[in-house]
Amino acid sequence: MSQAIIEFKEVTKKYGEETVLKNINFSIEKGLFYTLLGPSGCGKSTILNIIAGFTDTTQGEVKLNQKSAENLPPNKRKINTVFQDYALFPHMNVFENVAFGLKIKKMDKNKVKEKVKEALRMVQLENYETREIVEMSGGQRQRVAIARALINEPDVLLLDEPLSALDLKLRTDMQYELRELQQRLGITFIYVTHDQEEALAMSDEIFVMKAGEIVQSGTPVDIYDEPINRYVADFIGESNILKGQMVEDYRVAFGGNVFECVDGGMKPEEVVDVAIRPEDLVLVPENKGCINVKIDTQLFRGVHYEIIAYDAEGNEWMVHSTHKAEVGKQVALQFESYDMHIMRIGETEKEFDERIEAYTEEGNR
Amino acid sequence: MNRQARKYFFIPYTLWLGFFVFIPMALIVYQSFFNIQGEFTLENFITYFTSSTYLSMTLNSIVFALLITVFTFLISYPTAYFLTQAKNKQLWLLLLILPTWINILLKAYAFIGLLSQDGSINEFLAFVGIGRQQLLFTNLSFLFVATYIEIPFMILPIFNAIDEISPSYISASKDLGANQWETFRRIIFPLSMSGVRSGVQAVFIPSLSLFMLTRLIGGNRVITLGTAIEQHFLVTQNWGMGSTIGVVLIVAMFITMRITREKKKGRHKE
Amino acid sequence: MKKKSLKLSNLYLLLVFFLLYAPILYLIFYSFNEGGTMNEFTGFTWEHYGAVFEDTRLIRIALDTLRIALLSSLFATTIGTLGAIGIYFVRKYKAQQALLSMNNILLVSPDVIIGASFLILFTVVGFRLGFLSVLLSHIAFSIPIVVLMVLPKLQEMNDAMITAARDLGANSWQVLTKIILPSITPGILAGFFMAFTYSLDDFAVTFFVTGNGFSTLSVEIYSRARQGVSLEINALSTLLFLVALFLVIGYYFIQRNQQSKKLLTKNQARVVSTR
Repeated sequence: MSQAIIEFKEVTKKYGEETVLKNINFSIEKGLFYTLLGPSGCGKSTILNIIAGFTDTTQGEVKLNQKSAENLPPNKRKINTVFQDYALFPHMNVFENVAFGLKIKKMDKNKVKEKVKEALRMVQLENYETREIVEMSGGQRQRVAIARALINEPDVLLLDEPLSALDLKLRTDMQYELRELQQRLGITFIYVTHDQEEALAMSDEIFVMKAGEIVQSGTPVDIYDEPINRYVADFIGESNILKGQMVEDYRVAFGGNVFECVDGGMKPEEVVDVAIRPEDLVLVPENKGCINVKIDTQLFRGVHYEIIAYDAEGNEWMVHSTHKAEVGKQVALQFESYDMHIMRIGETEKEFDERIEAYTEEGNR
Repeated sequence: MNRQARKYFFIPYTLWLGFFVFIPMALIVYQSFFNIQGEFTLENFITYFTSSTYLSMTLNSIVFALLITVFTFLISYPTAYFLTQAKNKQLWLLLLILPTWINILLKAYAFIGLLSQDGSINEFLAFVGIGRQQLLFTNLSFLFVATYIEIPFMILPIFNAIDEISPSYISASKDLGANQWETFRRIIFPLSMSGVRSGVQAVFIPSLSLFMLTRLIGGNRVITLGTAIEQHFLVTQNWGMGSTIGVVLIVAMFITMRITREKKKGRHKE
Repeated sequence: MKKKSLKLSNLYLLLVFFLLYAPILYLIFYSFNEGGTMNEFTGFTWEHYGAVFEDTRLIRIALDTLRIALLSSLFATTIGTLGAIGIYFVRKYKAQQALLSMNNILLVSPDVIIGASFLILFTVVGFRLGFLSVLLSHIAFSIPIVVLMVLPKLQEMNDAMITAARDLGANSWQVLTKIILPSITPGILAGFFMAFTYSLDDFAVTFFVTGNGFSTLSVEIYSRARQGVSLEINALSTLLFLVALFLVIGYYFIQRNQQSKKLLTKNQARVVSTR
């Protein structure tokens, strides 16, 4: 395992009375793509500012390359940032913007020229040197901002919602480019976003945040398949979440039935949340599936139909299907035991991990 | 609003533009071609451009205005910068604006008292052993008081320019390795130039034409373009010559505006 | 280290502000001096204030000054507001810019030029110098300030409102009084205040066009100051300082009620930078 280049230990940040970060712990390894994901105001940008050195912590320790980062000003850190509004200097042209960091280091002029050229080539902006910033489109400005940061050869690149100002098509293109760039350069990226699709598409590891805390961390697949609670399940992708009750390990009751499931380690009779992804639900004729429902509405979404149905208890079910359904018809929902994901209420990530470890060993899944 | 109504509302303003902007300006140019006998002639301009008195007076006036502008700038820039960093910016600004709302005559009058032969400053100089000096009616006192009066008009535009700089530029500069001084030199100062330009305009042009201060504080030693105009219009009644100097002042004003105009970069295309 | 430099900067600010206020406080201080000079404070007295109120000439001039300021700012606000609306509705960008430049001529022109050219104007048309010539001049130099205060408010206004009002059947007059004027009221008030203080403060222009019979405070102080120190002027300046203080505070609160605290300084700077 490679060494952590950034480490947060019990970091808390308060602005006056308001706590924006509560006891944050994580470590960042070299060469991976990390994403801090959460709604606005959850503290993800604050973490970025602490890493960059713009903000100090109220409590706890931040280590950069195994050394305390306290009193290390931003200009002394081998970390660069791509700002949300890009913060390209309006009184400088593209060349001067990209060359800024090297000029500060008093690098030889010819070498600066060469490196700027190379950096601009890397972001596909060759021969744009003499352009003024206002003459550039949003996507181009974004690339300039990336070139300006990367030319300094940082250990870590911080990206603060860099795609939020772009339109949908460009945003998708840039996701590919950013991911490709990161893998090619092998630099650690820490990416802040509130867009779960971006996070799933690009990251090696995602930290899901809520109200100043990291709720869950893991690979995109882990988090998508095994959300720790209702919040994560709802935030990442779409989910049908129902209240249920454990009968015993691997058996859960909800919607008037008892189902086999693959989760365990809870107390008997414990009230839990059961999450099923809409794409895991299959519509079958009435009485042929697990639960009978009545189709209420249907929307065509392009790749699939989004179907809303209600069961006898009044629970709403969302189904994604490539087949058209008939509104008003009685049908049944079919799902497998591994499609159900059972979440304990109020469980922390640590407890979650321990429980999963315990029962998978025992259950030998 | 329909066109008809719009025109109707616009009439008083257009009348004002005609009668109080264009006609007076035209009149002053027209008047400059009349000598004291009322004959139409180029005499005034010839006199002006061949007389060493007028030329040296003009040069003098420009030098004084330049000095006032430079001193004002040197004091105002740090003030404006520190103000943007201060905690209660708005309160400080209010305090800064207040003196500008006090009649300039009263401020000049205060200096007559302060700088007089047995005024407080001389008392102080005597007390520390330097001894009493002639302070009032010197070039220095004129410079000092003029600078004093112009300071707020330089601070405000610079303050606004610095205050408008997005904090993310400063973060970006530090992020890219610049320290406090480099950030100031490469980012803050260049981005505050629009404010400096406005400040220079607001100070330099009026400084060319001060005439009340030259009389009250400068004791008629300093003759500015403004003093000369006032002298010709109200004392010697040579309106033609006064207008000629007025035309020179107007030209000087346009030159100043040209020089301090913002260089159009791509950013103004929009 | 950061803390220390912060302290130094505060010290510098305090010094600059002390210098800015020193002459004013000095004047006020000596207005209470029993001795007749601004040098030696011999004892406290209200006598100079008494003298101000007994000086009927001074009182008359003060009232005239106020009359000029009030009337000129009212007229200037009316004409300037209509002018700003007119400029705003000029749809051709170039024409609008040209109008704005013309508007600003009087703002950037030195006072002496304005004074001298108005003097020529009044003489040419045979207008007698006095109250009316001063009033007209003050209206004239205040109009562009009002335009500059009102125009930004118009630009902030949502144009769709006007279209909507017309769509709902409003005529031009109703559009003006029900839609436009209410949304630019803060700008109009700011313009009125600025015009008022410009008028109170003006010396140079008035000096040129005032003639013999009529005087304003600025001109009066000028002629008295040329004769030397008189503590009656000190007492007067204390009173005027209080008026200015009152105006600033009033202006500040008007602006503050219109949400943006920054407006005051912004407006001031805008005028200052085109003074």
